[in-house]
Amino acid sequence: MRIKQLLIFTPLLLVGLLVQAYFWVPTYEDQTTGDARRLNKFVEASIGDAKLLNPALHADAASGKIVDKVFDTLLDLDENLQLRGRLAIHWQLTENAYLQVLPGAPLARGVVSDAPALLTTLRAAIGSGAIDLPPDLLSGMRILPARRLTLTVTAVADSEVQEQIVVEVPPRLQFTLRHVDQTFFARLRPVLGDDYAQQADFSTWHRPLGDAFMPSLQAQLPVFEHNPQIEFRLRRDVRFHDGHEFDAGDVKFTYDAIMNARNLSPRTSDFEPVKSIEVLGTHRLRVVYKRLFSPAVMAWAAMGILPEHLLNERKLADEMDERKLGEAARATFGMRESSFNRKPVGTGPFRFVSWQSDEVVHLQRNTDYWDGAPIYHDYFFRIIPDTLTREVEFRTGAADSYNPEPYQVARYRGDDRYRVYSSPSTGYTYIGYNNRHPLFSDSRVRRALGMALNVDEIIKYVLYGEGERTTGPYPQTTNFYPRHVAPLAYDPGGALRLLQDLGWQRNTEGWLEKDGKVFEFNLITNNGNQKRRNILSIAQDAWKRIGIKCNTQVFEWAVFLQDFVNPGEFDAVVLGWQLGIDADLFQLWHSSQSGANQLNFVGYMNPRADRLMEDIRREYDPERQTALAQELHELVAEDQPYTFLYAPRKNEVLDRKIVMAASDGRFEPVRADRRGELYFFFSRWRKLAHAPQF
Amino acid sequence: MHAQDSSTGSLIAHTESPWRLFWQLLQRDRLAMAGLGILLALAVVALLGKATTEWLVIFDPTTVRLVDKFRAPLSEASALLPDADRPLTGVYLLGTDELGRDVFARMLQGSFVSMSIGFVAVGISIAVGVVLGGIAGYYGEVRIGPVTVDTLIMRFTDAMLCIPIFFLILVVVALLPASIYNIMIVIGLTRWMGISRFVRAEFLSLREQDFVLAARALGLPAYRIIFWHMMPNAMAPVLVTATIGVATAILTESALSFLGFGVQPPFATWGNILADGKNFIFDAPWLFFIPGFAIFVIVLAFNLLGEGMREALNPKLQRR
Amino acid sequence: MGQYLLRNLLQRLVLLVIVSFLVHALVHLAPGEPAEVDPNNPRFKAEDVAKIRAAFHLDEPLHVQYALWIRDLFNGELKSFKDGQPVLPKIWERFLNSLPLFICATLIIWTLSFPTGIHAAVRRGSTYDRSTTFIAYALISVPGFFLSYLVILWVVNAFGVPVIGMHTFGSEHASVWFRSMDNLWHLVVPSLMLAVAGVAILSRYVRSQMLEVIGQDYVRTARAKGLDADSVIYSHALRNALLPFVTMFGLMLPELISGAVIIEQIFAWPGIGRLSFDAILARDYPVVLTVTLMAAVITLAGTFLSDILYAVVDPRIRLN
Repeated sequence: MRIKQLLIFTPLLLVGLLVQAYFWVPTYEDQTTGDARRLNKFVEASIGDAKLLNPALHADAASGKIVDKVFDTLLDLDENLQLRGRLAIHWQLTENAYLQVLPGAPLARGVVSDAPALLTTLRAAIGSGAIDLPPDLLSGMRILPARRLTLTVTAVADSEVQEQIVVEVPPRLQFTLRHVDQTFFARLRPVLGDDYAQQADFSTWHRPLGDAFMPSLQAQLPVFEHNPQIEFRLRRDVRFHDGHEFDAGDVKFTYDAIMNARNLSPRTSDFEPVKSIEVLGTHRLRVVYKRLFSPAVMAWAAMGILPEHLLNERKLADEMDERKLGEAARATFGMRESSFNRKPVGTGPFRFVSWQSDEVVHLQRNTDYWDGAPIYHDYFFRIIPDTLTREVEFRTGAADSYNPEPYQVARYRGDDRYRVYSSPSTGYTYIGYNNRHPLFSDSRVRRALGMALNVDEIIKYVLYGEGERTTGPYPQTTNFYPRHVAPLAYDPGGALRLLQDLGWQRNTEGWLEKDGKVFEFNLITNNGNQKRRNILSIAQDAWKRIGIKCNTQVFEWAVFLQDFVNPGEFDAVVLGWQLGIDADLFQLWHSSQSGANQLNFVGYMNPRADRLMEDIRREYDPERQTALAQELHELVAEDQPYTFLYAPRKNEVLDRKIVMAASDGRFEPVRADRRGELYFFFSRWRKLAHAPQF
Repeated sequence: MHAQDSSTGSLIAHTESPWRLFWQLLQRDRLAMAGLGILLALAVVALLGKATTEWLVIFDPTTVRLVDKFRAPLSEASALLPDADRPLTGVYLLGTDELGRDVFARMLQGSFVSMSIGFVAVGISIAVGVVLGGIAGYYGEVRIGPVTVDTLIMRFTDAMLCIPIFFLILVVVALLPASIYNIMIVIGLTRWMGISRFVRAEFLSLREQDFVLAARALGLPAYRIIFWHMMPNAMAPVLVTATIGVATAILTESALSFLGFGVQPPFATWGNILADGKNFIFDAPWLFFIPGFAIFVIVLAFNLLGEGMREALNPKLQRR
Repeated sequence: MGQYLLRNLLQRLVLLVIVSFLVHALVHLAPGEPAEVDPNNPRFKAEDVAKIRAAFHLDEPLHVQYALWIRDLFNGELKSFKDGQPVLPKIWERFLNSLPLFICATLIIWTLSFPTGIHAAVRRGSTYDRSTTFIAYALISVPGFFLSYLVILWVVNAFGVPVIGMHTFGSEHASVWFRSMDNLWHLVVPSLMLAVAGVAILSRYVRSQMLEVIGQDYVRTARAKGLDADSVIYSHALRNALLPFVTMFGLMLPELISGAVIIEQIFAWPGIGRLSFDAILARDYPVVLTVTLMAAVITLAGTFLSDILYAVVDPRIRLN
């Protein structure tokens, strides 16, 4: 019977066809020993896909990994976290300081008559040693002529109310400094006296103006002004992957792209303090800043340089024509929409080949790379969203590395096919208390809550030892972290006594109670992070033991942020920060940053800490900055706005066959840089057919 | 529930109550009876679970004992543990999870939650399906503007049918706060379409039958005709759908848990124990196999029972 | 005939509009916002959030947003929130990735179900019938991801070959033959997992359809005439039982898309299910909305096609 046979043989045939495919698939062994070309390829497995491959626009870690390989920055941090030049071969940080001459203002002795007189007085004081300046600081002083400015001033209460005003500004003195010094004007105090700026009377400079506008006007006419500037000399003969030569115009273009409001760049605030960028030659440029802002230098170490010739207005217009966009779409078309973000061209060690969304990003080595081509020929960034199958795929040899979870690490440690790399990370996990909440407004309560948690046990059992205790806002890998601050000791009895001293007593059911109210609050976190969820359960359990009733809830990220964190409507959260090597923590802890949608969402307010953060931002001297940062760290650790739990260690697992080429042509084990970045030496990695013995 | 009562004098002759016949047929299906037996046992377990983990805490599903994490089933609690934290009899029947919580206690607690998700969700979908299907079937010809009620309801039903159901659930659950009630409601509100079509078809045919016409002629109020005379006749197939629906709802919850949108702590369900346990399949396989097997058993029991009921109700098969 | 088709088509268009309203309202009324705002980035400020909201029209009233969505969809200028790329090519690319999976799963479902189902019907009540019944129910009762993990671990442990993803990475330089076999192998496990529930359901359905047909008079007549059992079953009965399956074909597609969400997540398959899941997580409204609408379009097209086939085969429908 034909139909019957057909019905029986078709499925058999299908199954046969599918199953025989097995015989063609390479096993782990085939992939390493049997196939020399496979050794030139590196496959990294990641949990999520990149979003935008554009250094000016990307905001996610996966895109960052690719962008870092395709694009070069002007500067970066070397193995020991010192700045070093990449596309810039030389850079110099200097400052222009401006002093507004205020005719009639009081000096330490006498009053100001005019600019030349003031200049003479200052020069004399410096010459005589009455003003104490470091010998190599000042390189020149001159008078800038009076100006007529047309300014737009806004009212205090309502920034919509604006007025135009013409101001006749008297001459200013310009000081050229060899390095940045935030105390420069304080040094002039022997001449200027203490009240110089307070007596500034602008009223004769312009037509009468309402009081409401005065603060705005004064802000635009600072008496003391610091303009730090960086002069870059750029590397010559560096080419983008399409062969076009890199020059200063590309740097300027990159800056403009970030500042262009239409591009919605997440890096705007890094470059907002820039006053101007002047191109001084094909490979020279000067960046002038509006004010002291020390993080600005580091910003160049994180900013990949875009190719101007592929993204300028003309190119974008061409692309719009090519896509045949309508009027409405043209109006909103910008760099963010450009297809460049899916096929980037940079100057970096790897050139982009292809990107299949949610599957793989393929890069190939840039054989003309100025710093020497990487050893690997191909780099694949694979996306495997599931934790378990990521491990399975890694073990079958179809991925060379991934970030294992701590419980997986424990297994790899006992496996001699693989080598586990564990390094401290620059992030930490914490429990943040809403400091505005009456329960938590007292730092002693927060301290007691922290003391009730056995963090060492959490690290041991939840993280399998892959974490370290941390005490405050700075990561341990930086110098800003003071070693002498001790973490909160686990002491539930002490915690209970501390709370009892504050008036909390156990009621009949065993809960702590004060003024008839039970100590009860909600602890929440985001969905999808098992460790945080475990901490939730552990904290709930630990606090229950000292009589605190803690209810826990888990919310999906978007809801978590929008309904709880951003408006500040929560009691306590379990969260983590991933930080850079950056002394500036203004946005995380300054009291001005505690409004809705801002990052100091716990509402930490401490005037002394505020002052420290402001000073840190203005301090360019690494040593002094470090001292200030350590002081800040200590202060925050004392106040305990968060319970700082631990800094998870960053784990990577690699096949033992992957090694690093040393300069003498031999091989050494792969190692990380000081901040714990394993891929720092990636260009020198290679895979051997057989695992070496070290 | 009884078929037509005597007040209207049923015009359909019954030599034997259809329910009794149904029961006899069902009893002959051994798989279905096994399913029923398992379900009754699990229902008892679920109630006991609720009682012993929440009302009178004998098995504590929340106590964290980090020193005793990943203990295999039937292993003893470690000596380091304070007495207050020890499980009943000092033995972890089903082992412990990654925080040292007693898996047996969590499974007990989860049994009630998992089953109630299934029942509540199906209850919701029956309610919506029966009401919409009933209205469309009984009042179908009433016009609202240019369209009839029937068109309105059935087009809405068709529209819902064209959207991939699991996808729809996922969209809604992802966007709503993840509470257990939302999950019940969402699963319930996305699975009523089959029931409403069924009830409508049944009503359309019942409407023309003599006993309904007679009831109308007697001037009985519409609600009485609908709920007293028509509904019981349409109910049997709905029950079959509902039985299988509970199984689907439990599976849907576990799938949602796998994607991270399931019921959130402090509620333990078999679905989220399984979804969490899958990460530890190499370290603590029981965390994966116990809930997986439990879900499999309960869902299978519901399915077998549902299938048995369907067969018993199928007149064409009965004849043979 | 033409009129019938036209009316049918119009009805479907109306349905599609209803679906689009439903989906749009659902997605936009839910809490949570596009997650373009990266909360781990300490440099992101409130002003930036406001700018993004404005750029994506999130502050417009709902009906305006709907109009903008439909307008952009039709002139092909709809952009994803996530990366600003046009939505339609994006969905198309992913759909093409999923297509082999769907085709392979469909092939498995349809070729495997018929012989097993028919055989069970012919031997009703035999051990074979009862064990396939049980296996079928067992297969639909296992949580899909549970089964997938078991199979993956088994394959990897027993055979030591990669099964995740669309091909073995790092073997791009191999010959075409190797690569296509490699691709085929990577298709096997996920499409089998995607097909499992379908095979179970369809083979049950085939069985019950066949049972119904076998019981009918013409089949008995054919038997009585002395035709051999096979030709009665396979040419007379099967032909008549086939018709209802035409509808099944259209209705199974949304199920496949739903199933793909989980299967593609596990197997790291960059298809339409992953795309939609990620879009849901990121609240990438344009993508979520468009994928849902596309799924509805496909379902409607499927049922439309089966309606046409029905009309061709069965002239009575045309006349109604």
